[in-house]
Amino acid sequence: MELMSLESEVTMFITIVIPIFLAAFIMYMVRALKGPTIPDIVLAIDCLSYDLAAFLALLSIYFRSPVLIPCAIVLALWIYALDVYVAKYLSKKEMGE
Amino acid sequence: MNDMASVLDWVLVLLGEVLVSIGVFFDVVAAIGMLRFPNFFVRLHAATIGAIGGAFVPLIGVALIAAGCDFLGPYRWFISGAAAITAILVLMLAPVGSHLLAKAAHESRAAVVEPKVVDFLEEDRVRGETR
Repeated sequence: MELMSLESEVTMFITIVIPIFLAAFIMYMVRALKGPTIPDIVLAIDCLSYDLAAFLALLSIYFRSPVLIPCAIVLALWIYALDVYVAKYLSKKEMGE
Repeated sequence: MNDMASVLDWVLVLLGEVLVSIGVFFDVVAAIGMLRFPNFFVRLHAATIGAIGGAFVPLIGVALIAAGCDFLGPYRWFISGAAAITAILVLMLAPVGSHLLAKAAHESRAAVVEPKVVDFLEEDRVRGETR
């Protein structure tokens, strides 16, 4: 019996997983576009970006390009900064310095 | 010797694929919850599922898959380590961000506290006992 090679197995798995991720992204985008209040929008963007970081890490294996990985780290840090600034603005009505 | 390394690669890749599958499941569940839940404080529940179950778990899975993929060359350790670091950052930052946002939304009354039995924080604020 001929075994499937490791490379084609990993590529096939990621090809199956990508559409499921895209469906989740579309649902988060709907909530981000029609969220009634500002905390709703920020929360949806928050989730979307953390999942996008995981998606970028998968894509860097899929395209065999390690340059995509630092983008995931930077994305996770910036979306935390967005949380902190929006929370500060909502509670104190100023951005802080 | 070569066979042994190949078996180890397969074990790492299959373990990582199981973790990524679990993560994708949580991701879709959190997205559906985000879409269907009625207001902000209920959606917060779905958001934390999406951050920990939908980002932390698949990132650990990607780290394991990349550690087993020998077709990536020497860069596989770079991808694996960076994915693990991103996972730990998400694990630390996502709950803190959600908590800050919830506290600010409650403080500024931007979102209604809808399914509630009692709200001691609001009562304290009315009496002026919080800063």
